[in-house]
Amino acid sequence: MKKNHYDFLLFAVTIALVLFGILMVYSASCYSAEVNYGNKYYFMYKQIIGAVLGFAAMIALSRIDYHLLDKFKYIILGVSLILLVLVFIPGIGIENYGAKRWINLPFFTLQVSELSKFGFIIFSAGYMAKNYKKMTSFLGILPVLCVGGVICLLIILEPNMSITICVMVLMFAMLFAGGARIKHFIIIAIPVVIAFIILILIEPYRLDRLMAFFDPWESPLEEGYQLIQSYYALGSGGFFGLGLFNSRQKYLFLTFAESDFIFSIIGEELGLFGCLLVMVTYCIMIYRCLKIARNSNDRFGCYLASGIAFIIAIQVLLNIAVVSGSIPPTGLPLPFVSAGSTSIIVFCAGMGIVESVCRLSHPSSELTYIKHFKKKEKKHRLNFEHKDKLSAE
Amino acid sequence: MKNRNNLALTRKRLLIAMLPITFLFTVLFGRLFYLQIILGVELQTRAGEQWYRDLPLQAKRGIIYDTNNEILTENRDVYSIYVRPNAVDDISTVASELSRNLDLSYEKLYENISKHKVSEITVKKQVDPETAMRLQKLNLKGVYFTVDSKRNYPGSDLLTQLLGYTSIDNVGQSGLEAYYDKYLRGVNGFAYTNTDIKGTETDKTVTRYVPAIPGCNLTLTIDLQIQKFAEAAVLGATEEFKALSSNMIIMEANSGEIIAMANSPSFDLNNVPRDDIEKLNALSKNTMIVDVYEPGSTFKIFTTALAIETGVVNDNSTFYCNGARMVDGQRIRCWRSIGHGSQHLAEGVKNSCNCVFMDLALAMGVDRFYDGLESFGFGNKTNIDFSGESSGILMKRKDVKTVDLARIGFGQAVAVTPLQMATAVCAAVNGGNLYEPYFVKSIDSYDGQNIFTRTPKKVRQVISPSTSEKLRGLLENVVREGSGKKASVEGFTIGGKTGTAQKYKNGAIAQGKYVSSFVGFSNVGDKTYVILMTVNEPSGYVYYGSMVAAPYVGQVFKKIFDYKGLKGKTDEEIEYIKMPDVLGMNVEEAVNRLEGMGLQVEIAGEGDNVIGSVPSATTQVAKNDIVLIRCEQ
Repeated sequence: MKKNHYDFLLFAVTIALVLFGILMVYSASCYSAEVNYGNKYYFMYKQIIGAVLGFAAMIALSRIDYHLLDKFKYIILGVSLILLVLVFIPGIGIENYGAKRWINLPFFTLQVSELSKFGFIIFSAGYMAKNYKKMTSFLGILPVLCVGGVICLLIILEPNMSITICVMVLMFAMLFAGGARIKHFIIIAIPVVIAFIILILIEPYRLDRLMAFFDPWESPLEEGYQLIQSYYALGSGGFFGLGLFNSRQKYLFLTFAESDFIFSIIGEELGLFGCLLVMVTYCIMIYRCLKIARNSNDRFGCYLASGIAFIIAIQVLLNIAVVSGSIPPTGLPLPFVSAGSTSIIVFCAGMGIVESVCRLSHPSSELTYIKHFKKKEKKHRLNFEHKDKLSAE
Repeated sequence: MKNRNNLALTRKRLLIAMLPITFLFTVLFGRLFYLQIILGVELQTRAGEQWYRDLPLQAKRGIIYDTNNEILTENRDVYSIYVRPNAVDDISTVASELSRNLDLSYEKLYENISKHKVSEITVKKQVDPETAMRLQKLNLKGVYFTVDSKRNYPGSDLLTQLLGYTSIDNVGQSGLEAYYDKYLRGVNGFAYTNTDIKGTETDKTVTRYVPAIPGCNLTLTIDLQIQKFAEAAVLGATEEFKALSSNMIIMEANSGEIIAMANSPSFDLNNVPRDDIEKLNALSKNTMIVDVYEPGSTFKIFTTALAIETGVVNDNSTFYCNGARMVDGQRIRCWRSIGHGSQHLAEGVKNSCNCVFMDLALAMGVDRFYDGLESFGFGNKTNIDFSGESSGILMKRKDVKTVDLARIGFGQAVAVTPLQMATAVCAAVNGGNLYEPYFVKSIDSYDGQNIFTRTPKKVRQVISPSTSEKLRGLLENVVREGSGKKASVEGFTIGGKTGTAQKYKNGAIAQGKYVSSFVGFSNVGDKTYVILMTVNEPSGYVYYGSMVAAPYVGQVFKKIFDYKGLKGKTDEEIEYIKMPDVLGMNVEEAVNRLEGMGLQVEIAGEGDNVIGSVPSATTQVAKNDIVLIRCEQ
């Protein structure tokens, strides 16, 4: 038996991505920070603080038993929902770029939708683990759909279309992992498609963005602007890029260069090769998380790790798709890399949870959570756990 | 139903979930490959427009020299002042300093500088170096200076219509500046600078320069010194006779080089009156090339030349003038109502007797006369290197009736440009060779390489050398003892012909409005200069070409001889006589009296009684000089 219970490769890629993120945030934002804040390290400092807090959260969470989260899943969900509502209260919520997404805290602003994604993962993992038998019926998956629907509704009211889509895709991915039946997905998909069409019709700017996606050169100064700037950045990169710090698009041409569009700057400075490396790193991370999920001792740990793997995959794929003009533009941070304290803290915390699942799923673990262990469920426990229990008895 | 939902299913599904994730990563990588590698160059080309700000480096405009390498037009450094609003700290200080020093409205400046969306504002162009230096010393943040060049004309209002002016952006607008613009302007260079979206230079700025290539220099046939003589003459004539305008062309007969071309009124090229477009258009027009006038008696030169050439007249031919001719039932008067009596050709030319030239034109007939006139270049452009040249007006050959033919014979019913007239006179007196007139002798690149050298272009032989020789004699006689007397310069042989044409307005004779002209020629060293002067609408009763234009041509010839260091042959003492008092006399009596004393007489006004004379009685007059008497009914 191996002595190392942690997945050190996962730690390594997480730390590598966060450090790479700090570097790229500096490179992408040094000029705009100098112009707007008079300090070219402005965003980098914030990112470093976020990274320190994130690492702290990661280590802390990796050391505690993840089953604790199951215990507190309703509290976590409740706090997530309350925070989502608080955003709309003037004085607490901060409005930026026409959207209320942040809560003002003394030392930093909290983007609550980032938290709610994980709130949803913890809640649904807990629910599905407990009610795994009901998952094959529509009634059984309804609570997950309802909670997911309420979170989506609150986020779309901010409004934040992209996180809404994330949560929605995440919800389906988790239900899929949880064993929901395929025909139920099709039943749900129909109203969702209708809801999308209505949302687009309500807010015409979404349609404009959609059109801009089809031909950004039609409106190079309005809807198509950001996408064109992203193309320019990527197009300048070529195979190996212009070299670190040599982006030209960061000179205020590409807005959100340090956050949602940081991948454009990566493509510009490090080229297709750099993009490939980053994508491969994410793939390693996602596969490791899924592997940990598959090796998990119990359903909760399995769903938790797979949910975190899914949210990383969804956000990375959506972000790169937006940046490369493969889907209509929508603002979504690149996990671990984009500037944004909340994002980096919650994703690092997520990795901590996955590490905790990894550690506790090891056969030699002595900290197996047995409090909820009931006799009638015994036969569904994993074998080694069973044996472990028997030998203890 | 047995619940099939076990962990094995979840594990299987997680494995399945890896497939779409891997697939989507692959698709996105393909998309990135397409954007970064396949579209890369195209995207970079498009992006270049926003990354670089290309500041044009203005090419220095070519210099224009006169024939002796005197500078006629050069460049002077001036400053353009810009403001980049985003770089300005203190809007009110910047606005107030700029408004104080540049004489601009403070409110407007303040408003413009406050616009943060604009990356750059041009505050003022063509600011003189002193003001710009003063502003530069203030070290205002956000204020930028660039050096431009501005045309400078050392001669100010010299050669105004010929040189022309440029726009504020140094593009030739009129005259030679416009005609030779493509040579003078050079090729602008560029400075490419990396900037951010607002146009601010970035910290990585590498400025790449594509240097400007200065324009070519022109060397004109104009002689600045002689031009000054001509300018003085036209200015003097316009003022003395309160004329609408006067102009003078000096041309070298054996090449077609234009030595001087002056027009009055004029304006200072360094201070172009751009506010008044109408005035500017009127004053900047080179009327000697663009406008036509009825030449009057100066045209008789060509009638004479062609008559001799075609042989319709010889030394023994005699003509009789009784003051008028009947042509096709119309009575056409000679300028001297009392007539000239019986005359040989030489006398006819000296007297400028209309009857003689009517006879000559009629004797030649339409075809021979017209062939000759067209050969002299009338009715066609001279092809001078200048824009907007007029062809003059020559009636259509088939429309010419006998009456018209007779009139054309003495210079009526025909319109020419002063340039056509001067060019044709050159041909008439240089042995019969018609040359194309021109201004630009050579074009050289800024580094001294010759690009173009003009050689005189002979268009055709118009008359034989012997006819030309004979004509010279006749015209020299006009100056020696005829109406051109006032153009004579002691000790030099000058030939010429006066002209006084009535102006027409709407097809009718405009009473009291004349174009007085004189065309003269003389050898100046080994060159032959032809000078044509026209004075448009001299006011008062002195309007004869012999009194108005001839004296100025004489003065210019004298100045040219002095300038060229030529000494005249003074073999005879000039005899002066006292102007007699002819007031109250009968016109015929007075004319006989004055001619008896060896003076030539011009008559102003209609009637029998003499009411005045120029010069007045008892004034000293040179023998053979021209005097004027005024008559009344």
